[in-house]
Amino acid sequence: MIFKRKLALRNYAVEIFLLIASLAIILPLLMMIFGSFMTSAEVTKFTIRLPDKWLFSNYVKVFQEGGLGRAFLNGIVITGVSSILNIVTSSAAAFILARRESKLSSYLYLFFFMGLIAPMSTITTIRVVQWMGFYGSVTSVIFIYAALNTAFSMFLYSGFIKSIPKVLDEVAFLEGANLFSVFFRIITPLIVPVNATVAIMVFMSVWNDITIPLYFLTDSSTWTMPLSVYNFYGKYSRDWNLIFADLVMTSLPVLILYLFAQKYIVSGLTAGAVKG
Amino acid sequence: MLKRSKSMYAYYLVWPALLIYSVFFVVPAIIGFYYSFTDWRLDRDTITYIGWDNFKRIFSDETLLLAMKNTLIFAIVTVIGKNVLAIALAVALNMRLKTRNFLRAIFYSPSILSVLVISIVFTPMLRTEGMINRMFETIGLGSFSQAWLTDPSIVIWTVAAVSIWQHTGFQMAIYLAGLQSISKEYYEAATIDGAGLWKSFIHITLPLLLPAININLMLTLIGGLKVFSEVFVLTGGGPGNASQVVGTIILRAFGEGSWGLGTAINTLLFIIVTIISIPLLIFMRRKEVAE
Repeated sequence: MIFKRKLALRNYAVEIFLLIASLAIILPLLMMIFGSFMTSAEVTKFTIRLPDKWLFSNYVKVFQEGGLGRAFLNGIVITGVSSILNIVTSSAAAFILARRESKLSSYLYLFFFMGLIAPMSTITTIRVVQWMGFYGSVTSVIFIYAALNTAFSMFLYSGFIKSIPKVLDEVAFLEGANLFSVFFRIITPLIVPVNATVAIMVFMSVWNDITIPLYFLTDSSTWTMPLSVYNFYGKYSRDWNLIFADLVMTSLPVLILYLFAQKYIVSGLTAGAVKG
Repeated sequence: MLKRSKSMYAYYLVWPALLIYSVFFVVPAIIGFYYSFTDWRLDRDTITYIGWDNFKRIFSDETLLLAMKNTLIFAIVTVIGKNVLAIALAVALNMRLKTRNFLRAIFYSPSILSVLVISIVFTPMLRTEGMINRMFETIGLGSFSQAWLTDPSIVIWTVAAVSIWQHTGFQMAIYLAGLQSISKEYYEAATIDGAGLWKSFIHITLPLLLPAININLMLTLIGGLKVFSEVFVLTGGGPGNASQVVGTIILRAFGEGSWGLGTAINTLLFIIVTIISIPLLIFMRRKEVAE
């Protein structure tokens, strides 16, 4: 009994401590959210309190003056297409490498795995894209993101595909199915949860990234949210209410995705934690 | 059957991924080794081989050396900070607390946002008259106030702290997943044997958390060495060059048109990251085989 009460007391103490600590996370985010509805004079005090009047017009303003609508669409196109490209190519490759238990396939896996470690060589990537004649285009950025995320996706897929019994494909092969239909009819439906995990992980990393657009998107009409927000931040550095509204708009898509797709994020993290 | 089924899995399904990955990631890395030894410039048509000159310049230029030192400081500070805090948070949030799910979501949430967003939000907070210094003064710790982003001797530490603030939640989530795979029976047995909390943490939790610790050490270390966005947005490498890191120096070389030099710095980063991570990787693979 005493032991149990002591345990309960300890839990309360930990809980109170954590709730206080969580303020360190909550307060800066609240400052951004409340600030995005204030007047530019009110926001420059940088205190955490509710706005005197909720100015939704700040959001209208950043869409009109900051060109956010364009950046939003660019972000959706780049993020969407590179995720799909990455999902289709990585899952197909992981399927073959997981099924063929040969020396070559394990070397190839290692070759892909190196992509998780090695930093990308930015300036020479520009060189390659120039050779191919599409430097500065959205297409080049889509391919670069697909390439950068290949290693991580293959890692998630191959762990999962190995747990699908090989007998399933063998039966299909015996019935005369070809490799293509085995992959699309049998494997693809079974890896839907991993597809969701990969889609979310790739979406978040691409949507939030500023490095690639900085080097590769030379024309401001092709910029994604973070880069155009960064530019806006340089130009309107007095109007913190507008800057905060911009930041909230950049964060909204990933926050919504997080709320609806939490379980897929957790399953991806579990794969990393348990398999190492 | 076995032989036949092997040939069934033709390599043509590997080709698309292999092609994209090779053209846009591997080829640039390989030609990077060649361009590192040239005087490749934006404004010149000819590219000449200049031997080790770029590397000699890297190791004699104070700013470049400082950038490397800062990168190492950032990597080490964030690896320790993120992992120690994340393990503590994960263990605490694995207990039966009433607000457990709420707290997990709160601590995780900054890590899904863009580094750009967090860095801009922290900029006004870190000013000398900003919220953080005011808070220290309110609770009577005014002597802790610092010129967080303008004092050259602490600026890289400030950037590291912001990164720890943002990303510890991500590491915590991986540790939580790892903790949940540990059977409760171990702890019950330990309690019966009279082991206290600290003892069961050292002898049960830590060893069984090893796969998660491995992956997190690797993720934070590699991520730390590749740092760019935090510094770029928070300080732009300043004040002066006090917070330059390898990532921002590459951008600067790119902007100045010194593409050969920029590539040489990138190649050096490539070599450093690989040398540090390969032993970790081999260790992890060996453990996998042992299982």
